Amino acid sequence: MKRRAALAAGALAVAGVLTGCAFGGGGGTSSSQEPSAEGPVTLTFQSLAFQDTTIAATKEIVDSWNKDHPDITVKLQQGSWDNVHDQLVTQFQGGTAPDIIHDESADIAGFANQGYLADLKPYLSDDVVNAVSKDVWSTVTAQDGSVVAAPTLMQTYVVFANTDAFAAAGVPLPDGKELSWDDFQALAKKLTADGKYGIGWGLKSPTATVMNLALGFGGTFFDNNGGSSTIHVGDAELEVPKRINEMTYSDKSIDPVSLTQSGSDVLPGFFDGSYAMYVGGNYVAQQLTESAPKGFHWAVLPPLAGSEGTMQAANPQTMSVAAESKHVKQAAEFIDYFMNPTNQAKLAEGDWLIPASAPAREQVAKDTEGKNGWSAMLASGESLTAAPFQSAANYPQWKDQYATPSLQKFLANNISADDLKKQLTDGWAAVGG
Amino acid sequence: MSTSTLTRPVPPVAPPKRRRRNTGPNGGGRDAWLLVLPALIPVVLFSVYPLMQGILLGFTDSKAGLNAVVSFNGLENYARLAGNELFWNSFRIGLVWAFGVTALQFLASLGLALLLNLDLKFRGVARTLALVPWAMPPVVIAIMWRLMLNPSYGPINEAMRTVGFPGDINWLGSFSTALPAVIVVGVWAGMPQTTITLLAGLQNVPAELHEAAAIDGAGVLHRFWHVTLPALRPIIVAITTLDLIWNFNSFALVFVLTAGGPGGQTMLPMLFAYNEAFRYGEFGYAAAMGNVMVIVISVFLFLYLRGQARSRLS
Repeated sequence: MKRRAALAAGALAVAGVLTGCAFGGGGGTSSSQEPSAEGPVTLTFQSLAFQDTTIAATKEIVDSWNKDHPDITVKLQQGSWDNVHDQLVTQFQGGTAPDIIHDESADIAGFANQGYLADLKPYLSDDVVNAVSKDVWSTVTAQDGSVVAAPTLMQTYVVFANTDAFAAAGVPLPDGKELSWDDFQALAKKLTADGKYGIGWGLKSPTATVMNLALGFGGTFFDNNGGSSTIHVGDAELEVPKRINEMTYSDKSIDPVSLTQSGSDVLPGFFDGSYAMYVGGNYVAQQLTESAPKGFHWAVLPPLAGSEGTMQAANPQTMSVAAESKHVKQAAEFIDYFMNPTNQAKLAEGDWLIPASAPAREQVAKDTEGKNGWSAMLASGESLTAAPFQSAANYPQWKDQYATPSLQKFLANNISADDLKKQLTDGWAAVGG
Repeated sequence: MSTSTLTRPVPPVAPPKRRRRNTGPNGGGRDAWLLVLPALIPVVLFSVYPLMQGILLGFTDSKAGLNAVVSFNGLENYARLAGNELFWNSFRIGLVWAFGVTALQFLASLGLALLLNLDLKFRGVARTLALVPWAMPPVVIAIMWRLMLNPSYGPINEAMRTVGFPGDINWLGSFSTALPAVIVVGVWAGMPQTTITLLAGLQNVPAELHEAAAIDGAGVLHRFWHVTLPALRPIIVAITTLDLIWNFNSFALVFVLTAGGPGGQTMLPMLFAYNEAFRYGEFGYAAAMGNVMVIVISVFLFLYLRGQARSRLS
């Protein structure tokens, strides 16, 4: 009896798959009401949203689009940030890339140069273009001037504080517009006691963090002049790794183990009070609200400021269209819809990220009333600038093969600052920078 | 090597009979070819063709890019590779990994196989349990061990703390312990097939020889050295050879455990070539690395098998 039921279920499932295949390609041929000149089309959209709230928001946007546009059906696929680059390389090569591609600006520069991404400039509406600052547009503009993506959400590195740990140590929460590195360092020292560390900092992949925070000290690393880039590693560039090293091994206010772990590996230590502060992307706030134990109180500290200010690199998430897509125009229309302030605010609130679009930022400020650290996070978003490393062509390879290993060694106190400088510079020459 | 072990027990009359049938006047050889064909087609389609494609790719400048033109560039990739310090460094790590894992795996498996060959209580249960790592996909093994080796919450450090050892070792994160820790996981993951193969070999060692040696006054160690090991030799050669190839080519385990970190300490050549192809889009260059790995492994195997064949003859 049971077996027969299982068989029937299996048969139904097979039938479902078969019909799914048969009708999936057609894009709902029977229900099209106002077919456009080219007939109804189906687009695939690979989203990398990974937090439940953002996945829901993305689905909502796609559903409402499909309802309003019976002749352009968008099919949602789920991808992952962990392997999106490898996946896209393979898919582009095999000609099977999704029509609409979700990624981030630092990752797509190479694809843009290889000609895999369509120019969206002719399709984006003025509202969308004017909503985003020129600086942020420059991070998604290829060398030949084509706009290869629409920038959506941006992250900054922020300091999260366990407010109970601050209270227990009798340290007042810093307020104000910014938190200087000196104050940050002093704060960490005060909160280090009884086998507990002031800071847990998941720096397993340290390069992006260092590149971003170095801007606050004026450390730009690269000079781009028309296609080729040169590297310069000086005091300004080395300031951030040096300070982290000093805090770990002289002040002993950062847990050295956390430096070798990923951000999510360090989070449990922040929850159980081993660390009073946690440095990470602002999207971690969503995980804090979701999975922090009951009675855990946290806050976002003001943005970290170096000698030059609180600048960090604008590395927005992006929405691109594959150049090989058969329906570039329709895909770009969907992106234009995706970019409207209501949709962007919905996504930003789900992911606790900062929308690149100014009207969407206003919407978020209104919706959240600046609570739960939102005002500090939106503030940190105002000083995002385009950074030279984003346009340096061989940056991804240099980052993997040279910058990450040598920064890991420096943060493990295995090499000196001079060695680090030499390895970073020699590495750039070795990748043919 | 394997043919010699296989043909040895066959009665001397059988081979001529078979040969006569194959080359008979009815053209049986040609018919047999037709019968084999359906089995050969998938092999050619799914093994030989991609293999050739891969080898050829190693002599081109294939790169990621829309409508990129691919052209043969002869030995250029290999000249470039010769000067790639990072690749050779990862090659060195790969050899340490492959030989380390294979040797330790062999010793541990031999011990386990000898144990399981004894007439113990619950022998069946123990033999089944020894197979458990084999039933797990490498990715699951890697995730499990990453939890076990977690520096703050992992049970391994916890256990070390309770028995009084320093329990704060950052196994996969610190430069000195990452490679040894990964090798231990590799040994654990690969033990079942080695153990089972050796166990099968042990059961074929004739009991009479042991008896005769025992009557002649040979102790346990002597019997192991002079009876068990020589009888096992063909099996040992076969399984260590296969293990070496498998281990050198293993990918998923280390990819998930450390992805080559920290600071490139566990960057096996496979991971390196994978990055070259699927992160930087240098398909031709990555295929050239694959070709070099095949050649180097073949050389090692050739030397090893020749050494074994010589010592068997002497």
